[in-house]
Amino acid sequence: MSGLITGMGANCSVGADRAATFDALCAGRTGLAPLRGFEPANFRARNAYEIDDRAAPGEDRPLRPTRWLLDAVAEALADAGMAEDLTDIPVVIGTTLRELRSVELNWCDGTPFDPADLHFGTALRRRFRAGRTYTVANACAASLYALGMAADLLDLGEADTVVVAGADTITESTYGMLDRVYHKAPDAVRPFDRDRRGMLQGDGAAAVVLHRSPPPGTRPYARVRGVGVNCDASHPSAPDAESIGRVMRDAHARAGVKPADIDLVLLHGTGTPHNDVAEAQALVDVFAGVETPPRMTAVKSMIGHTAGASGLHSLITAVQSLASGRVPPTLGLADPIEEMAGFRLGSEPVVDPDLSLAQIDSFGFGGLNAVAVVEKVA
Amino acid sequence: MRAAETTVRTDVLISGLGTALAGVSGPGALLDPPDTALGTDPVDALRGPGLRYKDRATKLALCAARDALADAGLLGTDGDLTVDGADFGVVVSSNWGNVDTVCDASATIRRSTYKATSPMLLPNTASNVTASWVAITHGLRGANVTLTNGPTSGLDAVHWARTLIAAGRLRRALVIGVEPVNEPVRHLVGDAEPLFDGAVALVAEAADAVRDRGGTPLARIGRYARAGDPARALAAVRDDEDTPPDAWWLPERPLPPATAGTTAPAGVPAYDLSARHGRCSGALGVLQCVAATAELTRTASRSMLATAGQGSTGGGPGEDDAAAALVLHRMPAPAGGGPS
Repeated sequence: MSGLITGMGANCSVGADRAATFDALCAGRTGLAPLRGFEPANFRARNAYEIDDRAAPGEDRPLRPTRWLLDAVAEALADAGMAEDLTDIPVVIGTTLRELRSVELNWCDGTPFDPADLHFGTALRRRFRAGRTYTVANACAASLYALGMAADLLDLGEADTVVVAGADTITESTYGMLDRVYHKAPDAVRPFDRDRRGMLQGDGAAAVVLHRSPPPGTRPYARVRGVGVNCDASHPSAPDAESIGRVMRDAHARAGVKPADIDLVLLHGTGTPHNDVAEAQALVDVFAGVETPPRMTAVKSMIGHTAGASGLHSLITAVQSLASGRVPPTLGLADPIEEMAGFRLGSEPVVDPDLSLAQIDSFGFGGLNAVAVVEKVA
Repeated sequence: MRAAETTVRTDVLISGLGTALAGVSGPGALLDPPDTALGTDPVDALRGPGLRYKDRATKLALCAARDALADAGLLGTDGDLTVDGADFGVVVSSNWGNVDTVCDASATIRRSTYKATSPMLLPNTASNVTASWVAITHGLRGANVTLTNGPTSGLDAVHWARTLIAAGRLRRALVIGVEPVNEPVRHLVGDAEPLFDGAVALVAEAADAVRDRGGTPLARIGRYARAGDPARALAAVRDDEDTPPDAWWLPERPLPPATAGTTAPAGVPAYDLSARHGRCSGALGVLQCVAATAELTRTASRSMLATAGQGSTGGGPGEDDAAAALVLHRMPAPAGGGPS
């Protein structure tokens, strides 16, 4: 498999575009702030990683993730030197919550909402004339699942160019039910730290343009070497370390690489007690015997869990790290869990010019796992 | 545009069908008038732990999934899967699947704070919860995909099942179309017309996978296209066909206030399943494929054309964003192997 990435766009709580986001991540800036979207008195948790684009705190409005998605796709197309015309170009969008925040506003407040906007194809047609759009609701593994599906279209010769995207916001229902689940309300996302308390959500969208072969005159950023996907089929929310290990090995096999070849891992790292341990156990198993373990980082420590968009947020970060040698920190990591002791993961940014292969992890509810391997294009 | 079958060389066959729809006894009865004597809710027959935490869409899907697997001969007498689950995937299509959980939980929080919510319902807030429970119930560990893709979503799901099999990720996939009816769904979609409240399922398999286990293929999945308007989608799936399909399965009208109507093609029998079963939304395309496959196996028909979504007619509220078309072909007699 070989999809070449020629354009990228991203937005989240720390940056309105891809470059601003990467600079913020490398500087260790966080998007953490007091909750703005909902009535704080209804929750024990106090913080979230929101995009601050509402008129006033508590005054929510519909279709915010759709707007971020359109921004990210437009940025990726411009970056790839393409016109804003997706008439015959498939677009695969990964999301956990679609426009369900708008559904909540419609149900609770009577805010007008057209159900045709619950999936993203309607807005993508209006803006980009897109007709081959697919909204894939694959929980927090969604955008890397979408990447794997898009790569299959390229491999089968069903398309020469594909746009892969992810978009999500925070719903009142998930924010409240997560609050109900954790022993103590998390004040921040602290991936792999012994003091982690759980996950806090983040807003954002991301998009990449993938080509089967590079169009004349374009300079690709990176090559997608392989994407593995699977399903634990064991529990609706608890992770399964063995199944995660299998999907990592599957991604390596599809990419034709060995664990020792991986230079950098963008961790899923949600900061929840069980998820981080399961990911760490899988990494310990898969990278056993590797003399120099890869560098690792978890960007949810700065942008929160951007759910269906999180896999692509990590992938776009990885591609820029391969290109620049700059690796963002895992912000706030003070006392790593025992399983991560053998890995190179830290709270400070690093510069390493010798990075060429990256693994990106992405896992979600329903036991969904997706892992991608990308390679720098010199 | 390029139709999806042009370069897909692996034949993908349909080998099992299931329905979970009150008043419908099975796939062969989808064209009959609903039988009120069979009007019990299919989910009433479900047994097992944890049912109170499963949403209606999930319960309906579990009923249809079990029947499709059994119909394909993939369940043993103990109800366990008789083939390897590692490369057996799930593709679910649903637009309104978990709208009830999201609306109910947000209203509960507004009334009584987060403390009044149930942590057991947290997985139901993610729209893939149905596909997840189907995978857990039957041990299906391959690619697990939920399409929430508007009016074309069901045909898109059949297409993605075929794509994932053709790409070699899967040997088999269970495809499910499901839409539940409840108060939040009526509030969102409108209650001016009846809504489909049920699930349908089909098993898609690589031709050699059906052959190797001695299964019986029922139909072959042919060309598929999705485009901004129906004419382009139809042209892409029909571009080297010299005979008309034996039946045309019609799209449903867009939601009010959009008003484009369905135009039945001349000279070809046309079936409007929404007129029989209510507005089907994300379930429609799978319902069409289940009904069309049943027709292919009991008549001398050679091919069936399913269409969903009406595409854009001007960009107003309620409009469909695109149209999709998919062709199913009958298996050559005697059944027992895919066409080469």
